[in-house]
This record gives sequence, structure tokens and C-alpha cells, in this order.
Amino acid sequence: MTHLRVAVDIGGTFTDICILDDRDGSLEITKIPSTTDPIDAVLEGLDKAGVKLEDVSLFSHGTTVATNALIERNLPHTALVTTEGFRDIIEIGNATKEDLWDAYKDNPSAYIRRRDRLTISECVLADGKLEKPVNESQAQELARVLKKRDYKAIAICFMNSYANPANELWLKEYLQNLLPSVAISTSAEVLPEIFEHERFSTAVVNAVLRPVVGHYAVRLQSNLKSRGYQSDVLLLHSGGGVMTPKTIDFQAARLASSGIAAGAIANKYIGEICGYPNVLGVDMGGTSTDVSMTFESTMTTTRDWYIEYGQPISFPSIDIKTIGAGGGSIAWLDEGGALRNGPHSAGSNPGPACYGLGGDEPTNTDANLVLGRLGNDLVGGGLALDVSLAVRAIESKIAEPLGMDVQTAAEAIINVANANMADAIRLVSISKGYDPRDFALVAFGGAGALHGVALAQELSVPTVIVPPHPGVTSALGCLLVDIRHDLLTTLVVETSKADPKMIEEEFVKLEKEAISRLSTEGVERIDMVLKRSIDMRYAGQWRSLNVSVSQPFTSIDDAVNGFLAQHMREYKYVRDEASVEIFRLNLSAVGITPKAELPQSAPNPITPKPDAFRDVIFAGKTYPTSIFKRQNLSSGAQINGPAVVHQLDSTTVIPPDAVASIDKFENIVINIQRQDRG
Amino acid sequence: MSVRGEKGLDPVTFEVLRNAFVSIVDQMAEQVRRTCYSFVVYNRDFSNSLLDAEGNTLAQGKQDLSAHVGTLHYKCKAVMKEFGEDIEPGDVFLINDPYAGGTHFSDNSILLPIFFDEELIAWSQANGHWADMGGSVPGSFDVSAADMFKEGLRVTPVKIWRRGEYCSDVAKLIANNTRDPNAILGDMEAQTQAARIAERELLRLCAKYSVSTVKRAFQEVQDYVERAIRHRLRELPNGSWSTTDYLDRDPSEKEGLIPIKIKLTIEDDRAIFDLTGSHSTIKTIYNSAYGATFSGVISGMKTFFPEVPLNAGVYRTLSIVVPDDTIVSARWPVAVSGFVMPFEKIMNATFALFSKIMPEKALACAFNIEYLQTGGYDISRQAKPFFMYYDWLAGGWGGRNGKDGLSVTASPFGVGLMAQPIEGQDRLYPVRTDSFEISTDSAGPGKWRGGLGLEKSGTFIEVEQCVLSYLCDRERAVVWGIEGGLPAKPHGLWLQRNGSSEEDFLGAAFSDVPVSNGESFRRGTSGGGGYGDPLKRDPIAVMEDVEDEYVSLERAAKDYGVVLELVDKDKATYKINEKATKVERQRIAKNRKDWLNEEPLEIAKKYREKKLDMYDLIRQYGVICDWGTGELFEDTTAEFRKLLKERAMQYWD
Repeated sequence: MTHLRVAVDIGGTFTDICILDDRDGSLEITKIPSTTDPIDAVLEGLDKAGVKLEDVSLFSHGTTVATNALIERNLPHTALVTTEGFRDIIEIGNATKEDLWDAYKDNPSAYIRRRDRLTISECVLADGKLEKPVNESQAQELARVLKKRDYKAIAICFMNSYANPANELWLKEYLQNLLPSVAISTSAEVLPEIFEHERFSTAVVNAVLRPVVGHYAVRLQSNLKSRGYQSDVLLLHSGGGVMTPKTIDFQAARLASSGIAAGAIANKYIGEICGYPNVLGVDMGGTSTDVSMTFESTMTTTRDWYIEYGQPISFPSIDIKTIGAGGGSIAWLDEGGALRNGPHSAGSNPGPACYGLGGDEPTNTDANLVLGRLGNDLVGGGLALDVSLAVRAIESKIAEPLGMDVQTAAEAIINVANANMADAIRLVSISKGYDPRDFALVAFGGAGALHGVALAQELSVPTVIVPPHPGVTSALGCLLVDIRHDLLTTLVVETSKADPKMIEEEFVKLEKEAISRLSTEGVERIDMVLKRSIDMRYAGQWRSLNVSVSQPFTSIDDAVNGFLAQHMREYKYVRDEASVEIFRLNLSAVGITPKAELPQSAPNPITPKPDAFRDVIFAGKTYPTSIFKRQNLSSGAQINGPAVVHQLDSTTVIPPDAVASIDKFENIVINIQRQDRG
Repeated sequence: MSVRGEKGLDPVTFEVLRNAFVSIVDQMAEQVRRTCYSFVVYNRDFSNSLLDAEGNTLAQGKQDLSAHVGTLHYKCKAVMKEFGEDIEPGDVFLINDPYAGGTHFSDNSILLPIFFDEELIAWSQANGHWADMGGSVPGSFDVSAADMFKEGLRVTPVKIWRRGEYCSDVAKLIANNTRDPNAILGDMEAQTQAARIAERELLRLCAKYSVSTVKRAFQEVQDYVERAIRHRLRELPNGSWSTTDYLDRDPSEKEGLIPIKIKLTIEDDRAIFDLTGSHSTIKTIYNSAYGATFSGVISGMKTFFPEVPLNAGVYRTLSIVVPDDTIVSARWPVAVSGFVMPFEKIMNATFALFSKIMPEKALACAFNIEYLQTGGYDISRQAKPFFMYYDWLAGGWGGRNGKDGLSVTASPFGVGLMAQPIEGQDRLYPVRTDSFEISTDSAGPGKWRGGLGLEKSGTFIEVEQCVLSYLCDRERAVVWGIEGGLPAKPHGLWLQRNGSSEEDFLGAAFSDVPVSNGESFRRGTSGGGGYGDPLKRDPIAVMEDVEDEYVSLERAAKDYGVVLELVDKDKATYKINEKATKVERQRIAKNRKDWLNEEPLEIAKKYREKKLDMYDLIRQYGVICDWGTGELFEDTTAEFRKLLKERAMQYWD
């Protein structure tokens, strides 16, 4: 009987092994240092945690293998074969820079060097007409050169192939016969979408990553299998789902940031069990904060996504906004005398000044310590904090130059950090027409719960949820995934001229493909959830909005009304006489995996006795504040702010006027009563 | 380190509001980009700002176009001057007037006054480049225009909303004077709605922090940026530096480069830019009015202080001296739609000045911005609609101190200006792109070479009554190097006529040339100028460039004196012939100064005879001629050689 679910999330520093026991819902986390060969840490961690793989029903995995390979350009020898005359699409990109003004800052280079970009004569027109097929003798010569150069992977990217992939497919088959061991990707198979740069770039990322993640997945799978694991390894992809190694050929690019979506998935899940379909996830660590949003139980996605600027990966990806603000972010005064916070971080070495490891820059952690919001140690006593060092850093670097006392300076540091984070959250959520009062904020990561309530106050979000293990909540997200594919087809037509029958036919085609892919991965038809949507815009506009539509598709008017409602919500206006255009049909195909049940306990409403008291400063005033240990708080406990809750991996701050309770899942749910309705 | 004044806002409120102002303009930008109609706007030819009640800029978008940065406050002040007391809640204004501090008619600003309890406290502005503003040619750039009457519609300040009522008569009057009324009305609305975002957000801040706090912050964010810039200037040595950059020509004159002169003086914590000596206005659209000139100086300087945010505080730290009626101070009704040509010269000249003062950030000249416009009837569609194909290319930036220049990057006019996808163009226009690639050898040679430019070619497929126009420059005032680096490549367009065996060279600036189906054109952008003596470039770097075909085998020898031998053609691998390289480098070093004094007529003759090519002429002999006919431009050559000696030769051993 298999009763364990295992999620392994490999990060740069640590590999987290998260084990959920289906029998009692208990969750166990093992953290071990990552290793040069990431699989070593996986196996070591499993041993350390005492997991028997024959007991495991589901093994899901987030890995930085692909991300690191890209960033370090540690990629297999790969060729790009493209239309003659268009050799440099991936280098030209959209010709902009990430930093517009700094002429000494360069964009990252293309993943395939120019010498490895070969061309061949062919032509497909924009309407799909095959103007010129690939000439076989040229293909033969190309194959000879490719073979001699000993490429491990090839991306075939032809102009207008989204409209007709025949030339790409013909050449792929031709080359594959002559070069059977080379991994060949074509742009239209990877992403059948108009706009050459995005399609080529995605296909190139797919091509260079296929051997990397393919080998990795095969090795991991066989290691796990030899130890008794029976099913497929589930690989977490950037779209917020998982895939099996069987679909890597077309989807390797989606693993370019495996694991990034884990926090967003956890955020969505915690919102669901607490009864909030709309949640903002704030995952704050030592150096940065990841913000994600779930609206009406759907995680927001973006097509504007990349690991490195200028090299887009245009699969739908969970929209995560990363801000350079974390516990270790350094507060500083700039040359204009303004108090700034981040994006530079003291990291873990030397770390914040209060770690006593030689750091002398004041960080958010130092400020929280001075204010009493952090206790004198972290990790349950594993790391002592020296408040005098924190005071010294804040005094010399901030308080004295600004002519204020240390406590005021410390609070100023935290307030600036909170304001920066709130601005970023506003940009991804509220500024797009979402009302913050309809949301709850889930605070997690090592530092999230220290700042969560203040952020919610700033944003007018009425409720904050702190999950039971904030430090490992992302890893939990890894366990809650479904198999997910996103398919699309480009279709540009004005709605007044669109034929619903034709659109229905296109959707049916996408669904056939989706069902076939999910079936390959062992998903039963009953577990498949297929969701249709259409990207629409006013005719003449450049960007489109994604509008959900029902199955079967019968009414263009319904789709147009959906578009208008969304345009109104996001942009606060509609244009009465303007015509609306369809741009793209999308299908998200989800294979539901059975979910674990988290442990629940019946609430017992009590007001627990504090474990200690400490002075904590809020808004310039010192409050004698109740200090609790989290393990002593059981379901139903009620806490009135001000209070601070300590646990191994996190600290929760409940300011004055806020009221918290522990729910049946042992989340701390904090209601903000007298919030600022600014 | 200086610290903020004693009686100001507390540091948290200040920092929160400072960031909030920036966040507001970023939200505006996001909305404009998501809702706009003009593809020019979509590709980021726009800018947004928040201004105080006096029209001083408080914050601008992080991705704003350089060319707009110093003009937004002028436009706001022009509206205030025009309407005086007649500015009320619910009003929305439109202006595109270059003679009142704007850039050109294409850049249309929506201005919305923001009131708190009946008091005007601020303005928001959304400025976008609309695809057409009427005038004699599609896209509204007619290089043959000498005054504004051929350029398009001048919009001096008007209300398009009055006390909450949409003035559709005014809006339609404007839209109906353009070639694409629907898109113009769509953009007008998109920009108005973006301006309303700023209003909402600012009022939220007022409710939260009090209006007096917000107004106080308006002052303090300007003081703050002023302090930051003054701090930077104080770190630089006092002194004066001068430079000259050039436009190609005045089409009403025979030939000869058109100078723009700048003398920069740094006095403690302020900078004075004196443009005295710049050429008088010329008989084309390549003139700049004062606002755009101001913007050029600000943008050039900002490139050297990239971290300092832009607002009116910057403007307090510098003064700009501009004599009347020059190419950098045109007044009504002189044509200015091509203002970007002098604008970029001002920017590059400012690069040259600061490269002397801050050598660690030195930057050789960048390629010149270029626009291709063609319009006519599209007979591939049943209704034969009028089409406007409007295209621009990225190019190379100048070599830098310690590394090569940026390749295929948008021009200094606006680094955020995105390239258009060819597959999008293929669907929309009866013009087919035949090739679009990096242009081998386009980078100016140097110890650190310039970045690379592009080449794009296309064919007219199914058109009727179609005309072709091209706006560019530096066909003759070729992109230059610094510290011994060499020039890059002349700009210009080549047209393959039906029935002709050779391409015609149409130059870098022309308009309304009739074209027919089957005719094709190609044009390239220059790379950036080189930095440092190319004979000192690491031969391995030259070999890598040849393997990537950034540099040809031939020019590796001619420009760098590096002699390579092919190892394996299939693998495109080479090796360095060390001995031959040494000999070649010595030969070039010995002779190159003399080459710059050889009889230009003889050199031009060899060009006509195809014994020398364009690169030989500009890089080795400093000779400029009509690249099509090979006719020598004597005066231009003399000026170009002078420039080459100054920027390159004096640094050679």
C-alpha cells in the first residue's frame, strides 16, 4: 500500500524534501544542502528522512537544473536551423534593453551563438501558403554539416511556420533519419503562435533544455525505480502544474523555472481550504519576496516571461512578481538623502548585523529585532541574535544621519520595506481592477509573517493567513499539483465575421490533442478537466484579454460580453462602437491527481496564556506584548494583538487592534479591525 | 553625504510618496500599452508623467522614450498658459505643439488636471506617438517640407473633455485630419483613461496622507533629485569641454556637413551647455525646436548618471544656452518633424563630452535612428484599402572603455522602442520582408569595436500608387569612433528597380519616391563607432568575430591587421597567422596617417572603378562620396577628415 507523497524542491542552497503521510495527513520536512549532482541530494535526503520508495504514491519534483544550465550557459552543443535571411532573430529580439539608461549594462547573450545558426532556403507566406518547399539536396548538405559539427540538439525555426508547419516538419523528419540521436525541436510544435522572436526563442530554449532535463529525468526516474518507486516522476513546470518525462520533448522549456510556481500553488490551496477564492500570496525570504495572485480560484498567468531578459519563454506561466525585499535587505541613505530599502541584501554571510558574522549594514531583520518583533534568537535558539549590533548598525548608518532615535529609525526602515512591497503588490493586482477588500493575504516564507499584517493594512486587505509551516509552504505547493498542459492556436478574426461552428471545431481539435497528451501520461478521461478561453481585443488594439468560454462554443455574443466586462474591470472603460476581434484560442488541460488531506482538528475556543511578555514597538509606542510559542496554540485559540508568535521557521507579528484565531487547519487567521481604508 | 532639510516630511512618508509617484506613472504606462491602437505607441513610443500644479515634472515612467523626457513639463505649462483660469475639474486637454516645447506633431499629449476639493493640485500627462497626423505623406514625415504646412496637423492646446463632457466635435476634427481616424480616437481614449489612473491614485494618496503632505512631497521629490545631481556634479572636475557633431547636409545647399556645437562647462554643482555656433535652420524637417533640444541634453547627461531618477529637480542644476533660429532652436513655422536627427546629434555630442570627463563610462557614437515609410493601396484585399507601412531598425551602439558596444539595440532616441515582428508585418502589409539579419562589418573597428547594425530587405508585392520615403542621416557624417576607434558604416537605402541591372542608391533622406510591384529595397543600420586603436584589438577576439561572421575575413585584415587562415570550412573554424598579422599591423600603422591625406578625387575614382569599397573610403581614406554614383563630396570629405584626425588619428602611436 502506497501512502506517502513526496515533493522534492531543489534550490541553490538547500534541497527540501517534503513528505506527506496520507494516513494521518502529517507533514514532515527534511532540508539538506544541495549537491553538485542534484540527484545525490535527492537520494541522500530520502535516506535521511527514512522514506521507502515503495511506499510512495506520488513523487513530484521542482528543480533548478534547467535554470542553472541556462544562466551558466552550460548547454549542450545546439544548432539553430532557420530560414535563409533570418539568421539572427534570437539575437535581435525586440532590440530593447532591460535597463534603458545604463549604456554599460548588457543584455544576456542568445543561447545559440551565431556560428551555430545555419540557414536553408524555404518560404511559407503569412496566409500559410507554401511558397517554396525545402530542397532535398540542400537538406542533405545541411545534414552533412550538422553531423560533422556533432550537435546534440537542433531547433528548426522557420518564418511563418505557425501558419503552416509543413517545411519545419519535413526537415525535422529528414534530419531525424540521418541524425537519429539528436534531439530536434521545431518552433511550431513547441509554440504554434505568431511572432517569430517569441516562438523561435521558446523553441530554442526547448531545444537546449531537452537533453539537459531529459537525461536528468531519465537518471532520476531510474534511480527512483531501482529503489522501488512505481509511477512517473512528476516535474513541476512554470505553468503551475506538473508534467511527466514523457512530454519533455515538446515542453522542456516549461521546466526553465521548475519550482517557481510552487509558492503560488500553495497560496491558492491555502486560500481554498480557508474559504477564500481570492488570495494574494506573499512569500518573503532572506533576499527577495515572491508575490502571486489567485482570483476566483484561478492563479493569474502571464505570457511575458523569461529567465533572462530578451530570451522569452512564451508558454503561459504563473505570474510571479519578485521584489528585491527580504529579511536581509539592506537599508541605506542615497546621495539625495532618501531612506532606501534593498534591493541589496546582506545574504546569509555576513548576514544582518545582529548575526554577529561581521555584517555592519542595517537590515530589515536588524530593525525587526530592535523593535522587539523578533526575539533574541532564530531557528528555535539555533541562531542567537545580538541586539546591540543591530542598534549600532542602525544608529550609525541611519538614525544619526537622519537625526532620529534608533527605534524611530528602525520603524522607518520597516515601513519603507513594507511600502515598497505594497507598491509592487498593487501593481500586479489592485491596479488591474481587483478590489483588495475581496482578498485575503497569505503570508509565508521565513519573513512573510513578520510583515504580512502591515502589508495588508497598507493594501486594505482585511484578512491575513499564516499557514502552519510558513518556511516550507512552497514545498507543500509541490505536493498539491495537477498535470497541466496549455495548448493554443492562433486565429485572428473579427467577432462580427466569426463563425461559432468553426471556432468550435478548432477547440475540438485542441481537445483531441490535449486528451491524447494526458492519456500518454496515464490520466483517466474522468480526471481530465479541459478549460477553454479566447484571447480577444478591440480590432486595432495590440494586446488582448483572456476570456473564459464554455463548451460547446455556440455564442459569439457571450464571448464579446465577457471581453467587455473584463475590459471594464481592468481598464475602467469600454468603447461602445468599436469592433472586437478574436486573436487566439486557448485550452488548458488538467489531469487531476488525487489530493492529500491536511490534518484537521476541531476548534476549541480558548484564550491561551502567553508564554512570555516582551516590549514591542508599534507606531512609535511601546506595548507590553504577549509572546506565544506556536506549538502551544491549538485550533480555536483566540489572540488579541499586540502579540508575537514564535516558531522554528518563522515569526508572526499581530499588531495592536488586530485579532487572530487558529483555524481547524492550524492556520493563524488574522483579522484587521481598524484598518486604514485609504 | 547630504541629508534632507530639517523641516521636511518624515523619511518614511517621503520615501513612500516618492515611490508612489513613480508607481503611478508605471501604472499609466502599463495601461497605455495594453489598450493603445497605434503600433508606434504599442512599440513604446510614448511617455507618461505626473506634474505639480505649476507643471513641473514630478515623476516619469521608467521605460519612457528619451526624446520625450525634457518636453513634458513644457507642454503642461503651455496648456496652463493658454487656458489660465479656465481649467476645471472634468477637463482634459490635448497638445502636440513643438513650438511650445513639444517634439513634433506626431507626439500627442493628453493632459488631465487633478483637483482636490476644487483646488488644482497636479497634472497627469500621457504622451504617445500617433501613427499619422495628416500632412503630405503617410506617417507625417515629409523630408521635402521646409515649413510645418506639409507636415501635418498642429494642435495647440485644446479641450477634448470639458467639465466631464466629451467634446466629440474637437476630437473628431483632429482624428478626421489624419489617415487613420479610428486608431487616433482609440489612442486618445486609451491615453485619457491612463491619465485618469493617475488622478485616482493621487486622490487615494491625498485621502490617506492629507493633501498638504502630498503637496509637500511634490516639492521634496524635486529637491531630492536636485541634490542627487548636484552631488554627482560636485564629484566631477571643474572645467570646459567642447565638441561638434554633424548632420549630413542642408538639401537646399550643394553639400557640406551641418554642425551642432556644444560647450559644456562644469562649475561646482552646476552644468552649463552652450550650443552657440550651431548651424542655422535648414530647409528640411531635420530641425529641432527648443524643447526637443533641451530633451537631448538631458537624455545625453542621464546616460552618464543612469541611477538618478528624472524630474524637474534635474532641470534646476543646469542651464542651456541656445542662440535663436538655429537647427537646435527652430521657431514657427520651420519644419521640425525630423527633430530626432539633431536630437540624436546632441545626445551623441553629450556622450563625447562626458566620455572625456568620465572616461570609465566612455561611449563612442551610436548608429542613427531611421524610419522607412511606405504607403499606397493594398490590392491584395478586395476593398483595396490604403495602407501605411512604417518600419524602423535597431543598430549598434558605440564601443566602450573595456568592452564592445551594444549590438542591435534601439537607438539613443529611445532604447525602449521595440522592433516590430516581421510575421506581424507580413500579415498587415503588401510588402514582403526578404531578409533581416545582422550586417557583417557594420561595426566601427576599435580595440573595443562598436556593436553591430542590421540589414533588412523587402519587396513590394501587391500595391498601387505606392510611394516610399526614408528618414535617416549619417550617410555622410558617418558614425564615428573615439580614442583612436574608426567609423562604422554609412546609412542609406538601395532600390532595385524593375528592369535595371544595378541598385540605385537613394540616400538616407528622401520622400515620396513612386515604387511598383516587384521592386525591392534594402537598407542597413550602422554599427557603433569603435573605441581605441583597432590594431590593438586582441587577435583572438577578431578571430571569434570572423567565426561568427560579425566581421569578414577581408576586413579582419584591413581594419584590424589580423590575418586568419581557414581551418575547416564546414565547422567555420580559423586560426591566426601570427607572423603575417605582425607584418600587416606594422604596415597599416606605418601608412595609415598618410592615407588620410591622399588625393580624394583619386580615391573616389577607385571607388567608382570598384577597386575600393565603402568601408575602405570611410575607414582608411576618410573620403565621402555619393555611394551610388561615386561622385566626390569635397567639402564634406574635408570636414570628415578633420573629424577623423581629431577623434581617431591623434590617438594612434
